[in-house]
Amino acid sequence: MKRRIPQELWFVIGGLVLFGALFVAEKTLNRYLLHILILMGIYSIATVSLNLTNGYTGLFSLGHAAFMAIGAYTSTLLTFPVPLREAYDLPRLPWFLGGPDAAWSFFPALLAGGVLASCAALLIGAPVLRLRGHYLSVASLGFMVIVVTFAKTLKGITRGPMGISAIPLYTNVYWTFLWLFITMYVVWRIVNSRFGRALMALREDETAAQVLGIYPMKYKLFAFVVGAFFAGVAGGLYAHLTKAIRPFEFSFTLTFQIVVMLIVGCMGTMSGPVVGAVLLLALRYALKPLEEHLKLYGLIELIYALLLIVVMLWKPEGLVGRKRVSVRGHQERKEEGEWARFSTPR
Amino acid sequence: MGQVISLLKVEKVTVKYGVIPAIQELELEVERGQIVALLGANGAGKTTTLKTIMGVLRPARGRIFYDGKDITFLPAPQRVRLGVALVPEGRGIFNRLTVRENLLLGAYHRKDQGGILQDLEEVYRLFPRLKERENQIAGTLSGGEQQMLAIGRGLMSRPRLMLLDEPSLGLAPLVVRELYTLIRRIRESGVTILLVEQSAPMAIGIADYVYVLETGVVKIAGTPREVESLEEVKKVYLGG
Amino acid sequence: MFSLSYFLQQSMNGIILGCIYALLALGMTVVYGILRLINFAHGALITLGAFFMYFVFFRLGLPFVAALFLVLGFGGVMGLVLDLVAYRKLRGGPEVALLITSLGFYTFIENFTKLIVSPQPYAFKTPEFLATLYRTPYLTFRTVDVFIILSSLLIMLAFHFFVKRTKLGIAMRATAENLEVANLMGIEVNRVISVAFVLGSAIAAFTGFLWGAKYGQISYDMGFLTGVKAFVAVVVGGVGSIPGAMLGGFVLGLAEILSIAFLPTRFAEYRDGIVFAILVLVLLIRPSGIMGIREEVRV
Repeated sequence: MKRRIPQELWFVIGGLVLFGALFVAEKTLNRYLLHILILMGIYSIATVSLNLTNGYTGLFSLGHAAFMAIGAYTSTLLTFPVPLREAYDLPRLPWFLGGPDAAWSFFPALLAGGVLASCAALLIGAPVLRLRGHYLSVASLGFMVIVVTFAKTLKGITRGPMGISAIPLYTNVYWTFLWLFITMYVVWRIVNSRFGRALMALREDETAAQVLGIYPMKYKLFAFVVGAFFAGVAGGLYAHLTKAIRPFEFSFTLTFQIVVMLIVGCMGTMSGPVVGAVLLLALRYALKPLEEHLKLYGLIELIYALLLIVVMLWKPEGLVGRKRVSVRGHQERKEEGEWARFSTPR
Repeated sequence: MGQVISLLKVEKVTVKYGVIPAIQELELEVERGQIVALLGANGAGKTTTLKTIMGVLRPARGRIFYDGKDITFLPAPQRVRLGVALVPEGRGIFNRLTVRENLLLGAYHRKDQGGILQDLEEVYRLFPRLKERENQIAGTLSGGEQQMLAIGRGLMSRPRLMLLDEPSLGLAPLVVRELYTLIRRIRESGVTILLVEQSAPMAIGIADYVYVLETGVVKIAGTPREVESLEEVKKVYLGG
Repeated sequence: MFSLSYFLQQSMNGIILGCIYALLALGMTVVYGILRLINFAHGALITLGAFFMYFVFFRLGLPFVAALFLVLGFGGVMGLVLDLVAYRKLRGGPEVALLITSLGFYTFIENFTKLIVSPQPYAFKTPEFLATLYRTPYLTFRTVDVFIILSSLLIMLAFHFFVKRTKLGIAMRATAENLEVANLMGIEVNRVISVAFVLGSAIAAFTGFLWGAKYGQISYDMGFLTGVKAFVAVVVGGVGSIPGAMLGGFVLGLAEILSIAFLPTRFAEYRDGIVFAILVLVLLIRPSGIMGIREEVRV
């Protein structure tokens, strides 16, 4: 209990320093670099929120892009300017969302996007999370396919495969990093609570955790839903940064990028996901001219995949992690011979 | 002829789970043709000892000699080839496979097709009920039948040393008696047996030598008569 | 409003797609049974097999049978390489590490293909002797349809024989049920796992050819959804059951084709969605699948 106060203070100081730095950045960086910086923030939110399920709980969701899509489309439909709606074939808002002459402001629209993503997570998580962790991976992937299909086919709402453009540019460094700050704070609070310890107990040994009276379903679902909320917010921020969204942007490639960021950074730590997101985006934008000039399409994804494989095989604890939090298990295991590994006692 | 080498010799073996030692500086010897009983309460380290002898667990310290050969670092499949067979606790039969398939897997490392079939007949002679249920899925057998199957499967590898881990666990007294008759017959056919049990009277009755483990350490070692006469054994293991 | 011939025609299409899913599910279920690994890289082998066939058969002009065996061999070698390079190293660690790595390998192979071959799809001509068209009152089909059905049945029968009658096959089933005891029986578990990878991958590469020959187009990302759907077939049929995986494949193929055939055309785009809706339904109602054995959670 005594240690919590200084740690909270840390967050305040960190926040102040961060926003000071952002102020300087906004004044000095050119638009392209600022754009990249904001993207780093958005991807960090996505990665940090994915960490809640995939890192701390040991579930491996592959549907993060779907939650981002839900957030992006929801917030866009809410904030889209009324005069342009007809020209862009977008529906007006029904009465319970404020009536046909209403457009929401940015913050509540983002929240709505997050909440809707959470609801979707509840819907998909409730049947699947009772089962072995693996089913979540496949079901969430399937969920992503379904969401993208809906985005393509519900033309009256989403304008189909061509997507929505002329989205107002609301996202800036302050919004983005405020949300990143909130996300990290919430995740940190969860992880350092009784609840968070329960999550990690589940990751380590589900049966043992059950014996201790931890009811797995509740905890898993909670982590999944909270993660989806912030993914939805990240999607909303993304839409209002790039000003155009199309269904295929939110498919497996996006999920994969976030997964790589998480693994390369380090699962199950606070700073790992952010480090991963920042480094891999930096790498992406450094390689982008190369990919485009040499027409080597797929080069960046290839390198991402290679990084993921290398990290998994040779440095499973990620860039910032210590051995303790490695996804490969404990160090003693590694020292044992191949044959002895099959029945490693716990 | 020099000194007779015992079939199995465990020399100051320590096995750890993480940092916690499960057995410590364990010394144990099994002579050819003997039945050696290894007794102890739950968690005394009996199963750990067997798994280490089998090569499933690796000792942190110490040596294991089989037939005079150092096998401390040999993987389990190669120990099977040398003639060590473990009949695991809880039987560990393959529930989804047929009885026959289970038995044939016991002879997995052998290449002599004729010999395998001969041994299969031998096992069926020993356990006629397995013959009747040859093509049944093993998961449908009764507990006693499953134990017979597990032992039969062990025999299929033509072992010289058979490690039996609590074979009487969960079986009715009548079935246990039948089982012990069989164990005796197996020894008569020339197989050396290291028998782990929690329930002592039967095991002591059949054994040539007895070890008693307590929290990973050999507490008592001696012939059945010596061991039986000890007060603490009477109290704890013989219920008298 | 739908005629009998329409129904038969669509059923045949469903069965053919079912053959493809079933063949893929076969390889996936064996690997999943032993390692609890959803092998995403399995999907990449479809792509690799298709392009490999394209190059050795159409570009190099090798005889068909030789090309087929080369594809099978190529798939097997790739499976072995994946196992030796990656999966073997991760055994004994958390299952999720295997899953992530297989995801990495899938993406690596997909983008490697994209980079080396082309981001555009390739037209895959049906080999001439398989392109003959037959018309009957109820059914119109090409030789390739017969080829797919017969070769799939042959492979499934061979696999069934392998798993039931051969020593290695029995050992494979034993390993899937209890790896530790299999090790005690003197089974070299690592070798058995490698064999599972080799067989599954060879079949997957062959499936890539079937896909190309049937649908006429191959692309760098063709294997992703196909592979994931094959795993859905595994779940639908019952995890751990080999006949279940095949049955699941056929159920999925028929469901996918017939639902779009008999729903109004605007639902055609929901084709992939339907497959995953079935998955969620099965998980809700009968998580152990049609023929599955209730899965005990390993601790």
